[in-house]
Amino acid sequence: MKKKNASMSRKRAAGNAVTYALLILISLIWLFPFFGLIMQSFRSFDPAVEYGGMVDYIIPKTFSLDNYRFLFSGETNFLLWYRNTLVIAIFVSIGQTVFVLCVSYALSRMRFKGRELLMRFWLILGMFPGFLTMICLYFLLKQFGLTQAGAVPGLILIGVASSGMGYYVCKGYFDTIPRALDDAARIDGASRARIFFVLTIPMSKPILIYTALVAFMAPWCDYVFASYVAFGYDKGYNVAVAMQRWVWTNDYQGYFTRFCAGGVLVAIPVTILFIFLQKYYVEGVTGGAVKG
Amino acid sequence: MAEKKNPVGAFFSAFAANIRDIGTTFAEGDFRTRLSYIFFGIGPLLRGQAVKGILYLALELAFFWYMGSFGRYYLSKLPTLGTVATQKIGRKTVYGDNSFLILLFGLLTIIIIAAFILLWRMNIAENRREEELLRQGKALPSNKKVLGSLLDSNFDKTLLALPMAGIFIFTVLPILFMICVAFTNYDANHQSPTNLFTWVGLQNFKNIFQFSGSGMGRTFFSVLGWTLVWAFFATFLDYFLGMAVAILINKKGIRFKKLWRTILVVTIAVPQFVSLLYVCKMFTNDGLINGYLLKWGLIKSPIPFWTNPMLARITIIVVNIWIGIPYMMLIATGLLMNIPEDLYESARMDGATSFQMFKSITLPYMLFVTGPFLLTQFTGNLNNFNVIYLLTRGQPQSMQLAEKAGHTDLLVTWLYKMTVNNTNYKMAAVIGIMVFVVTALISLSVYNLLPSVKDEEGFQ
Amino acid sequence: MKKKMFALMLTAAMAVSLAACGGGSTASGTTTDSAENSAADSSAAGSSAAEVSTPDTDYGSGEIKVWVADEITDFTSAKIDEFMEANPQFAGYKVTVEPVGEGDAAGNVITDVEASADIYGFAQDQIARLVSAGALEEVAPENIDAVSNENDAGAVAAATVGDTLYAYPLTSDNGYFLYYDKSVVSDPSTLEGIIADCEAAGKNFYMEINSGWYQTAFFFGSGAELTYETDDTGAFTACNSTYASEAGLVALKEMIELKASASFQNGSSVDKATNAAAIVDGTWDSGPAMDLFGENYACAKLPTFTGSDGAAYQLSGFGGFKLLGVKPQEDENKLAVCDALAAFLSSGEVQLARYEEAGWGPSNLEAQQSEAVKSDVALSALAEQLAFTIPQGQYPQDYWTLATSLGDSVISGELTEASTDDELMSTLQKFQESCISYAG
Repeated sequence: MKKKNASMSRKRAAGNAVTYALLILISLIWLFPFFGLIMQSFRSFDPAVEYGGMVDYIIPKTFSLDNYRFLFSGETNFLLWYRNTLVIAIFVSIGQTVFVLCVSYALSRMRFKGRELLMRFWLILGMFPGFLTMICLYFLLKQFGLTQAGAVPGLILIGVASSGMGYYVCKGYFDTIPRALDDAARIDGASRARIFFVLTIPMSKPILIYTALVAFMAPWCDYVFASYVAFGYDKGYNVAVAMQRWVWTNDYQGYFTRFCAGGVLVAIPVTILFIFLQKYYVEGVTGGAVKG
Repeated sequence: MAEKKNPVGAFFSAFAANIRDIGTTFAEGDFRTRLSYIFFGIGPLLRGQAVKGILYLALELAFFWYMGSFGRYYLSKLPTLGTVATQKIGRKTVYGDNSFLILLFGLLTIIIIAAFILLWRMNIAENRREEELLRQGKALPSNKKVLGSLLDSNFDKTLLALPMAGIFIFTVLPILFMICVAFTNYDANHQSPTNLFTWVGLQNFKNIFQFSGSGMGRTFFSVLGWTLVWAFFATFLDYFLGMAVAILINKKGIRFKKLWRTILVVTIAVPQFVSLLYVCKMFTNDGLINGYLLKWGLIKSPIPFWTNPMLARITIIVVNIWIGIPYMMLIATGLLMNIPEDLYESARMDGATSFQMFKSITLPYMLFVTGPFLLTQFTGNLNNFNVIYLLTRGQPQSMQLAEKAGHTDLLVTWLYKMTVNNTNYKMAAVIGIMVFVVTALISLSVYNLLPSVKDEEGFQ
Repeated sequence: MKKKMFALMLTAAMAVSLAACGGGSTASGTTTDSAENSAADSSAAGSSAAEVSTPDTDYGSGEIKVWVADEITDFTSAKIDEFMEANPQFAGYKVTVEPVGEGDAAGNVITDVEASADIYGFAQDQIARLVSAGALEEVAPENIDAVSNENDAGAVAAATVGDTLYAYPLTSDNGYFLYYDKSVVSDPSTLEGIIADCEAAGKNFYMEINSGWYQTAFFFGSGAELTYETDDTGAFTACNSTYASEAGLVALKEMIELKASASFQNGSSVDKATNAAAIVDGTWDSGPAMDLFGENYACAKLPTFTGSDGAAYQLSGFGGFKLLGVKPQEDENKLAVCDALAAFLSSGEVQLARYEEAGWGPSNLEAQQSEAVKSDVALSALAEQLAFTIPQGQYPQDYWTLATSLGDSVISGELTEASTDDELMSTLQKFQESCISYAG
């Protein structure tokens, strides 16, 4: 009996060793691009020190903070772009959370005429690709004066306006809160609004954080629509629009390392926030996956 | 849920019932009700229902103001989309009709007219309801109560008002607009405000299904084919590999579970325009990977990761695994914990191997639970713009493909390029509609086959 | 007015939710509602060109937006300040300069003419597209003589669509030549020699053969032709193409042969080149190229190549130009100010200053004769190459993307050295037919 246990545990140890090896390999692959990105960001673009374009080696010959200095020097509007993105992200995050919460509660808790129809209609709307309407949205926003100089509020408006359609995950969460709680409160004479604010919202912290987090992260990556709304007004760009030029456009020679440095600066706060709130994110996506 | 009836028949019988109701309300109604047929809300107003009455009346006035001041103008131009051309007076440019705005606001006007008819119908029903209540000797709800109901029994209206307005203006209206554009010649040569565009019927649709000459048929189906292949691999490879990684991490006796998870999750957290643009540069012919492989003498000439069509497609799918595994890993981790440990325990007693346990316990459970999720993943991947565009921009292009399509273009990236680079809005609109058709067909046909589709109310 | 009221109404409808946005909602004054505007402005229509040139005219006030490439944004701002100081009659106008690259400018202008810059720099290949989209105003009559006499003939031709002068030439350096590393490439006169040197040293040779712009080096070099004719509205009326010929075949085969080299990399941008020993590129990259090659920096005209038929051909290509355009205006006074400003920014004096600031080769004849320009290594190489190029005329937008497809077909290996002449010829035939289909 003892012998068998020993062989089992040896087998398990061997299995674990293989698993560890695999996990370490996977981790290396996953982190490699980020390692590269960070390394490149420390390569100087000053020709006297090193070359700032693309190179085919990963470790800079000399480490320098030139790129970061450049970004903070005010030579470009980098800080402004950063602020724009942050402002958009914060407002979109708040607005989307409010909208999604309202819609989810109404659809989960209330039964009204046309509810099924509404849900089906939104499902169908969601099947149209988002880029289809780009040109139309641009001119709509222009009617409100929310392009170019007004790009930041414009992008917030666009980010929030249609967000009610993304109610699935949140509604799924509400569906799991027992209705008996609502009913008990109603018997006590509480109005729907009161139940919503006093009962449901406090119970929904995880899903609130999840919704806000996802909404907060999206604007950092919004290149497509942001470039369309803000074109020709440098001060209205977000980081993605402004910085992709450094990689794609020929006007910016030797900006690759500066792009990497900017990328690092963009990635750090978002990543930290994300890892910090990871628990809620996991809860959200898992719930969403099960509900479909 | 109601039993399925013939929808057309149901619609007409409901329509007839409505007409009849409008008639009887008028015949049986008092003068207040009858007056309300022309002046909305007069009935409720005279019965002391100030809130409702004023609202109806105000909306009616707003409608006539709108129609009088500009709705009429745009509506009258809608059939032609404008006739006045731009001209020069001296050196000054005088713009003519703006087809774009005519189409947009003409469409809006039609919707507003429809809404107005609906309002009229609601106004009649309101009168009927009030008369009914009075006839039964009941008191009408006080104004305070009517307002108060917005926080209680009518709370849904309060909650949904803004989100629905937002969706209407920024999703429904633009989509309707673009559907209309598919039937016009709105492109680089017919652009507002300088040039007019007009209706051309089904011409653009003919173009996309035309295989001979300059038709886009062959290219369209080639792009569609790759889009489907891509969505298939992007969905299922990520699904199974993500699950495998989750099982690895959750294996008993493995330590630092949280660390492994966090490392993987970084790819979700870092904005894709940073990480994917960097990865794109890593794989170029003169990039890091080829550079090191050449330096180490493993290859003689660079591997054309992005320039060879086949290899570019494979590289994209591989890079997408890098993006996709962490999501699936997170989801699978949560779900795997839900599987009762007893099942595995008893299987182990019976001497089952890990693979057997995976095959007969884990996989069936996961597939059952995540069926609808897989479907949304699949349709999401059909429209996965970021990965494709940031990595290859749809390239390499080819002489074999029309209208600037590339070998790695999805329908959406193709649509995007048409809109932004070539301002070929008419064809972009057609492609958009086709994307919708494909997504809808797949969703409908698969959705009903899923085992886990249950009555929605059953969850509660 | 209608539009404004409508915007107000929609804004009001949404004000509850987005009070913050309501504040920023300033419906643009440049409406497109012609009926009202034409009536209101017809009084101003009387001001003739003669009046415009007298300093007493009241030019009114407004804003003028200028788009130029990032590297000359500060330079342009400074020059405009000088201009405004020297011309107090334009003081009512506030000029803002935004960095929008020549590549993006045309696309953005076409997307929304109203919201785009009043004066913008662009590469000449966009001109026909801009004219047909109604995004370019003709050069003011009083400036036509100055522009045509002071700039080189190629630049003037590039700014002309049909018989009308539509833009102010800025530079005459939009051509390409060879930058190379002296320590690697011993003799830059033949393509075969350059490639052999690069291969021996394990270094890369860069040329963007999937660009319609660089590709012509091969086709024009072997004697194939491709030109278009346009009418005054920017529409293409005729195409002359001889790509589907023996000459075209020689060119395509040479591209395939070049691609087969392990040293060949597609691309013509110093910034994106790694491990490069030679690169076909333009003057705008002279700074980065100097940084890249250091003391081994050298320039030369493009090399010759030995074709599949054994004959030697000189690589050709486009001599191109950068232009400054003024967009059509609804206000004649503003147009006059824009024209004056554009004329100033493209004048010989400013071109020379721009050369000194950013190295942009002038199109102005006098500026070209200055010592500084004449002694520039890169500009000399370009000037030498210019003898073998054709001035770039007008090409439809579709041509550029079609050429990318042809280049990609070579790079991706769809067309290889194993392809038969028939296969290659049918590809060229298709290319030529497509080119012809873009005209008329």
